[in-house]
Amino acid sequence: MSQSNRSHPHQRRGIPTKPPKIEHMKRTLIRIWRYMMVEKGRITLVLAMVLISSILSLLGPYLLGVTVDKIIAKVEVSTLVWMLVLLACVYVFQYGAVLLQQFFMIGVAQNTIYTMRNDLFEHFHKMGMSFFQTKQHGELMSRATNDMENISRTLNSSVIQFSTSILTLIGTLGMMIWLSPLLTIVTLVIVPILFYGMKWITSRTGVYFKEQQRHLGDMNGYIEESLTGHHIITLYSREAQVMEQFKHKNEAYRNASYWAQTYTGFIPKLLNLLNNLSFALIVGLGGLFALNGWISIGVIVTFTTYSRQFTRPLNDLANQFNVILSAVAGAERVFHIMDEPSETEDEKDVEHVTAIEGKVQFRNVSFAYEKEQPTLENIHFDVKPGETVALVGPTGAGKTTIISLLSRFYTPNEGEIYVDGKSLSSISRKSLRNNLGMVLQDSFLFEATIRENIRYGRLDATDEEVMEAAKKANAHRFIESLPEGYETMLQSDGQRISHGQRQLLSIARAMLADPQLLILDEATSSIDTITEVKINEALSTLMEGRTSFVIAHRLNTIQNADQIIVLDEGKIVEKGTHGTLLRQNGMYASFMQQQLSKA
Amino acid sequence: MKTVLRYVLTYKKSAIIALLLMGVELTVELLQPMLMGIIIDQGVVEQDMEAIMVWGGLLLFLSLLAFASGITNSFFAANVSQGVGHDVRRDLFTRIQSFTADQFQRFATSSLITRMTNDVTQVQSFLFMAMRIMLRAPLFIIGGLILAFTVHAGLASILLLAVPFLFLFMLWMMGKGVRLFRLVQNRLDAVNRVIRENLVNMRLIKAFDRGEYEQHRFDDVNRPLMDENKKALRLLELTMPAVMLAMNIVLVVVLWYGAADLRVGGAQAGQVVAVLNYGTRIMFSFSTFSFLLMVFSRGRASTTRIAEVLHKDAGEEVNTKGEANTINGDVSFEDVSFRYPGMDVDVIKHLTFSVRAGETIGILGETGSGKTSLLQLLPRLYSPTKGQICIDQKDIHTHDVQSLRREIGFVTQEAHLFSGTIADNIKWGDEQAGMEQVKQAAKDAHIHDFIMSLPSQYETHLGQKGVNLSGGQKQRLSLARAMIKRPAILMLDDSTSALDAQTEASVLQTLEHLSCTTFIVAQKISSVQAADQILLLQDGELIAKGEHSELMKDSEAYKNIFQSQVQREEVLDESI
Repeated sequence: MSQSNRSHPHQRRGIPTKPPKIEHMKRTLIRIWRYMMVEKGRITLVLAMVLISSILSLLGPYLLGVTVDKIIAKVEVSTLVWMLVLLACVYVFQYGAVLLQQFFMIGVAQNTIYTMRNDLFEHFHKMGMSFFQTKQHGELMSRATNDMENISRTLNSSVIQFSTSILTLIGTLGMMIWLSPLLTIVTLVIVPILFYGMKWITSRTGVYFKEQQRHLGDMNGYIEESLTGHHIITLYSREAQVMEQFKHKNEAYRNASYWAQTYTGFIPKLLNLLNNLSFALIVGLGGLFALNGWISIGVIVTFTTYSRQFTRPLNDLANQFNVILSAVAGAERVFHIMDEPSETEDEKDVEHVTAIEGKVQFRNVSFAYEKEQPTLENIHFDVKPGETVALVGPTGAGKTTIISLLSRFYTPNEGEIYVDGKSLSSISRKSLRNNLGMVLQDSFLFEATIRENIRYGRLDATDEEVMEAAKKANAHRFIESLPEGYETMLQSDGQRISHGQRQLLSIARAMLADPQLLILDEATSSIDTITEVKINEALSTLMEGRTSFVIAHRLNTIQNADQIIVLDEGKIVEKGTHGTLLRQNGMYASFMQQQLSKA
Repeated sequence: MKTVLRYVLTYKKSAIIALLLMGVELTVELLQPMLMGIIIDQGVVEQDMEAIMVWGGLLLFLSLLAFASGITNSFFAANVSQGVGHDVRRDLFTRIQSFTADQFQRFATSSLITRMTNDVTQVQSFLFMAMRIMLRAPLFIIGGLILAFTVHAGLASILLLAVPFLFLFMLWMMGKGVRLFRLVQNRLDAVNRVIRENLVNMRLIKAFDRGEYEQHRFDDVNRPLMDENKKALRLLELTMPAVMLAMNIVLVVVLWYGAADLRVGGAQAGQVVAVLNYGTRIMFSFSTFSFLLMVFSRGRASTTRIAEVLHKDAGEEVNTKGEANTINGDVSFEDVSFRYPGMDVDVIKHLTFSVRAGETIGILGETGSGKTSLLQLLPRLYSPTKGQICIDQKDIHTHDVQSLRREIGFVTQEAHLFSGTIADNIKWGDEQAGMEQVKQAAKDAHIHDFIMSLPSQYETHLGQKGVNLSGGQKQRLSLARAMIKRPAILMLDDSTSALDAQTEASVLQTLEHLSCTTFIVAQKISSVQAADQILLLQDGELIAKGEHSELMKDSEAYKNIFQSQVQREEVLDESI
């Protein structure tokens, strides 16, 4: 009547998935182990408790059998009472140990996951922009969420289950052989049946699951497509055809998954059969043995429990194996990210600049994201403090790259960039960026209140300063018109406020940061005229007196720039003011013509 | 839950057979300890070899019977769960397809997708479990207690005292655990949200050097997650060992009582062992409960979400039938006001205008001024709250919806294409269309040349949502799809925004030659300058109406917009 400590006996039965691919099993395990070893004391305690509870779980059934024999032999009640008290003590200690091991393991596991999450997050911030350019958000997201959750779940239960299973398996086998080798053989008869039965079932389910997965993907894809296109279906009155198509996919899926599910359903039944079978064999044959006096009735009682304790870990180990493997694979992916080299550290003896004037010089700068595919070639220009530079050119001309180099998201392959006459590499990234403001075309906002979103520009700004910035950015009026004003919660996808308003907020944010160097990436998307006027006003207030680099799409901004740099295929093709460039009647002029016929 | 149970009725027979087979299995398991007791008492104690053989043989036979039932059960249970899943999906899909635009709006598309995929799967596995093990644990506990009584009433009454108490305690703890886990889920969502935000905004965060700040922000959500997780897990993981301990102690008491009774000759050894075995098995049943509870609560949550869609009231019953007329293209709005259901502001206010067949109407206005809403009223995606809209001098509600929509080509703001070939997508507008017509439509939409440049031309497969095309190409394809209809009324909802200036101009030019009534919603005056009529909307009100030249004379607001948009041109002219 003892019991191993797993609580979800059916949870992991079923879907036999292919074991995930793992490259460095050992290294990954060691690394997880190292995370956990931060709490050496608790881990040791957990393992000690596992040992104790496993041993006691073997002792319980044995004592029970002995007691039954004593009862049958009708021994004195007083000796019996001692036996029973002993048995009760075994139980108390066994479950006491289980309670403790669970309690501490949960603590260790959750602390470990907490630390790993923080580490991963911290590492994200150490990565250079090139990292985010090459990796998809969805993939990184999945590392940080799915994989982490997977590790967390496995750590909570698997460490204990795995070690308990192994200990119990060995212990039970030993005890059984010691008690009655004959009955042990009877008990072990079921093992080959278990093995071949499982093999037969999984070979079948594997095929059906693949089939099911294929149809599921097909059907879900269709669902997604027809729901997102619902308005089109309505407008074209295609409901009947769509439903007909769905009917086929739905039926195909049903038929495939019918077989998958049926065969999966065999697994617990097989285990049940084996339990029942071994029970019948133990009781039946055990009875015969007892009749011949080879064993006592108590041994039969002990064996009925042991046989369960024996098949259970077998099954557990089989189930745990895939779970653990997939968690290890997840951990490997997480570590893989953590091992990506972080953004190059600042060079030694860099200078922390506090206030900069805003003079910027590009000296023969060349840069390539990938070798042999230069994005910028020999870029050379000077900007005086307070000037506005408009970067103009077709998509892919290198406008964004110039800005990325200036922000030191990347370092030039050749040439040098100077700010206030100091080489960029001699200035610490942190202090450079403290003097840098950015208004990006996607107007990123965070899921927080409007106030907090503006305050992002300068964390120690007072409420008054936030409001002041909003006023300068032409954002105050619309903010006040919202029912909750500055306390309005924004959704990260920007619902609740319009695109133009988002831009005003991000201008306010830059306004509050009060940087000397300003980077603007103007939005191309259509914004209503009135808001556009507001944005233009706000931008000119913002650019006043600051060195500004603008990736310009709006004519207004381009015209007012002190300097226009026209880029094409990574090279500067023209440079000058609006007037002079138009007179040159080169690329800029034709570019303008094109813009205008569109406007 | 009720909703789904009604679906099971379709598969009544399979369900009943599955449950009966489960009953067989259960009975076998319930009989086992009893037979064990008999073998001990009649066989071992009485030294009767034959009794052991007979009863042992029966035990073996019953095991095989249980196995056979279990295997057969699998077929029937899968039939029920897969059948119900299929039916629920079918009905959900049908229901959603019949949703009006308004009803559709109430659910987020992503939430509808989850409901149709995850939730249905969840219900399926819940049903499969229900047919096989759900009832088993509770029935086993009850049956085990009853049979224990038939074996030895005195010993069994100890079990009877303890089991219900432990059972309730366990349920209570688990209920608490489930609530705690809901909290954990919320915390987890918060953590994921911060990660997502950070990944998306990395450039900005770096530019503002807010890495450390973000790490604090992350810690602020990560730490509570850890704390709540510990709390919830500990509660759940500690409940079972506690219950097991109590149960084992109860069994010790059974032993003690049994031993005492045995000595006075009341109980037999086999009976004590049998009751003990019932106790052990009831205890094992306990351990499945936390799992069952989880499946059940998930299943219930899913059914609720499915039922929400299935039982969504049909909205106000709009009359969809009516006269199926061919349409000429005269349109008039008379004092039309409209607000979205459930909102408290009119997005269109007292709108009156009329259009003769074949005219082109430009609609200008700020974001949120009601342009798109206005267009949506014509194909009756929504009905006006007040006023009357007439097409060919007849209220649109007297037209048959299907035939009305057939006569209207609506090119929406976001171009949505379906997986299939390019030709398939264009043919959405007219299934009977031949290849020539498809090509003509593509030419009209200025996408033909591009299509011909693709390796498989019109047979090029588009992925879901047509991902392998650029925004402008998608817009032109959806324009072609609308044009192939040869609609009497064509509506363009800012649907040339992703085209370059030249292409846009040529598309607009082609539109002028079409004989249909054309509505063009645009941001730029230049897109609608040539229209026969321009409507200028502000906050849902029509503030100016007329030709470009008229508006330039009469409307201050129009002039302002014109100035801000065209002033650039003048500046440019001067400098040249």
